Amino acid sequence: MRSALWVVGILILWEALAQLKAESVLFTGPSAIAGYLYDHASLLTRAAVATTQNAAWGFFWGILSAVLLASFAMLLPQLERALSSISLLVFCLPLVATGPILRVLYGPGAGPQITLAAMAVSYTTYLALLVGLRAIPQAWSDLITIYGRGAWIMLLRIRAPASLPYLFVGLQIAAPAAFLGAMIGEFTGAERGLGVLTLRAMRGLDVDATYALAMLAATIAMLAYGLVGWIARRTLGYAPVILLTPPNDHKPRSLGRQLLGLAALTLSVLLIWQVSMDAFGLNRFFAKRPVDVLNYLIQPEARSTLFAALLETLSMTVRGYLAGLLLGAGLAALLMLVPAWSRGIIPVAVALRAVPIITTAPLIVLALGRGATGTITIIAVMIFFPTLIACLQGLRQTPGQIVDVFNSYGAGRLRLLMTAQIPSMLPAFFASARMAVPAALLAVTTTEWLATGKGIGVLMALTASTSNYNMLWSCVVLLSVAAVAGYAFIAVIERVVLRVYAAEQVR
Amino acid sequence: MTAENRAAENEAAKSKADDIRCLNIAKRFGELETVASMSLSFAARQTTALVGPSGCGKSTLLRMVAGLEQPSEGSITIGEETPAELAKRGGLAMAFQDASLLPWRSVRDNVALGASLARKPAGRVDDLIELVGLDGFANVRPGALSGGMRQRAAIARALVSAPDVLLLDEPFAAVDAITRAHLNTQLPKLWNETTTILVTHAVIEAVLLSDRVIVLSDRPARIVADIPITLDGPRDEAMQRTDAFKSLCDSVLTALEEGS
Repeated sequence: MRSALWVVGILILWEALAQLKAESVLFTGPSAIAGYLYDHASLLTRAAVATTQNAAWGFFWGILSAVLLASFAMLLPQLERALSSISLLVFCLPLVATGPILRVLYGPGAGPQITLAAMAVSYTTYLALLVGLRAIPQAWSDLITIYGRGAWIMLLRIRAPASLPYLFVGLQIAAPAAFLGAMIGEFTGAERGLGVLTLRAMRGLDVDATYALAMLAATIAMLAYGLVGWIARRTLGYAPVILLTPPNDHKPRSLGRQLLGLAALTLSVLLIWQVSMDAFGLNRFFAKRPVDVLNYLIQPEARSTLFAALLETLSMTVRGYLAGLLLGAGLAALLMLVPAWSRGIIPVAVALRAVPIITTAPLIVLALGRGATGTITIIAVMIFFPTLIACLQGLRQTPGQIVDVFNSYGAGRLRLLMTAQIPSMLPAFFASARMAVPAALLAVTTTEWLATGKGIGVLMALTASTSNYNMLWSCVVLLSVAAVAGYAFIAVIERVVLRVYAAEQVR
Repeated sequence: MTAENRAAENEAAKSKADDIRCLNIAKRFGELETVASMSLSFAARQTTALVGPSGCGKSTLLRMVAGLEQPSEGSITIGEETPAELAKRGGLAMAFQDASLLPWRSVRDNVALGASLARKPAGRVDDLIELVGLDGFANVRPGALSGGMRQRAAIARALVSAPDVLLLDEPFAAVDAITRAHLNTQLPKLWNETTTILVTHAVIEAVLLSDRVIVLSDRPARIVADIPITLDGPRDEAMQRTDAFKSLCDSVLTALEEGS
């Protein structure tokens, strides 16, 4: 009820602003958006159905691959490290570049949209599943050993049902992600879909259309998010305790062995790349092999173009990333100090997390212009909502008894926050900080491509349209490596910090 | 030799064969020695209580018998088998300190899991649920039960497979005193024919439930005393007030003080 009032309030304020600035070409109000939706109802419905269909197929394939990968990782624990690393790499592939490449591979049709949606879904789902499959109490696995049963029965009877709540958490995040992947796939030249219309509206500076499309996409994504949550609540019937970081069963490895592992992994990735392309007999003109990329990167002028673009992109990314993380965690902490605000803010934040933020990027560009401010804001917004929600969840995981102890000493909220709640929040914060690295790169490259015309995002778009596939593949390699390196860097900080504050999560 | 005698002798031989024998076992976790080298055996179809100060290694001893931990030295045999072999044919069952019920299964399904994992028929499920006083809660999930009720469901799960060896790791720790007294008099009837090892802190419980109490020292665990419990008459409330009972409790307590 209260959140409904908030929504109505926001709508009224928004309309009033729009009426005041009626002469502005960058701003429009709810009534104009509603008008556009009404006038183009049949066009929009067809587009929405197409996008939703692609997203749904991608969702399906993404979940299927995540479930298979996670089951493999459980039954063959030796392979887990390799499986996880390769999945992470696939997740870090820049959609802006893989989109055009997939377009060439598939030709016209829904192939790229579905593939990109599946890629966006697969890793988050895999990760959530892996945490759930591993985070079982010792006594449950003892139970299986006591009756002389093996890994297979453990997976079937204990791990699989125990991971169900985690799967739902993953799916809830994945549902809007599938939508995002499908839309980016449509940006690369599909026949129909909300992505196609968004691109057309942006190019034509059609403000009403841009707003209406963003709203429509956001609404569908939020509905999908809500639907998964509803199904989860109906299915589970019990309130599970959810850990956020996978317990690490790996034995610590020496630096030498770690480097050896990394080398083996790099080699196998290169091998998969080479062999899969040869196996499908893909045309060398666009399906570049590792050697082609290496040869290309040896040329100094190619390298300098590429690195200049990458530097531009990374400087945006780091600023937006930090801003998003700090604002998200900061607001979460603030809401603990001023609980009265949270009743209004939390429902709105939960709803907005479901929005594939990139679909609203055109709005932010309209509002803030095509400069650095706009780009950084889009990255920050993209990261802000998941971080806020994750941190709030983490803060709420402070054990009730500890809160009682603080209250019994009459300690203030600030003291409680600093000493008990922030340490409890850290696992959730880091989990979302890790996932935010690829998200930030996705946001920045998409924005560069759609709006600012700077950085590696536009370089990829440009080289895709001029068939400079050597450059395109080099961009993919460099960006993926940057994303994986960033992710690994955060993971290292996470280990060090959590070892002190949340030993049970590191084990 | 009469047929009766032969039967008795066979019984004795069989009983001997099913003893749990721990030979020179020791357990170290890195630098930490939890169980010092010791040999002991647990008689078949008897209940033996392991008593000792917290963290002394009695749970580790139990987990080694269960095959959940491998001894760093020595060996454990149950009859002719290793713990793992006994487990393979469903002859082992254990109740853990926290009930460890699966939250997504009802009480009935949790109890039935014990039978199905041990590849045994599930015919006794409802009877056992009634015996532990959970009739009416069979379709309820563990989340809705009190700690004591969960613990009783866990004990039913351990008993449902009619195991040869039953391992109880402080199963009554979370149970309130009144229920505990009730369980203490009712449950032993169920594990009469089972080789049972009970790890507990409570001296009265140890004496009341067992045929023998082994008192362990502070870490690393070694045997301080091995006290046979011979009591005439039913083990009930009245028994706890007899002098014989009290003197047995005294000797366990004295041994505990010696060992710490």
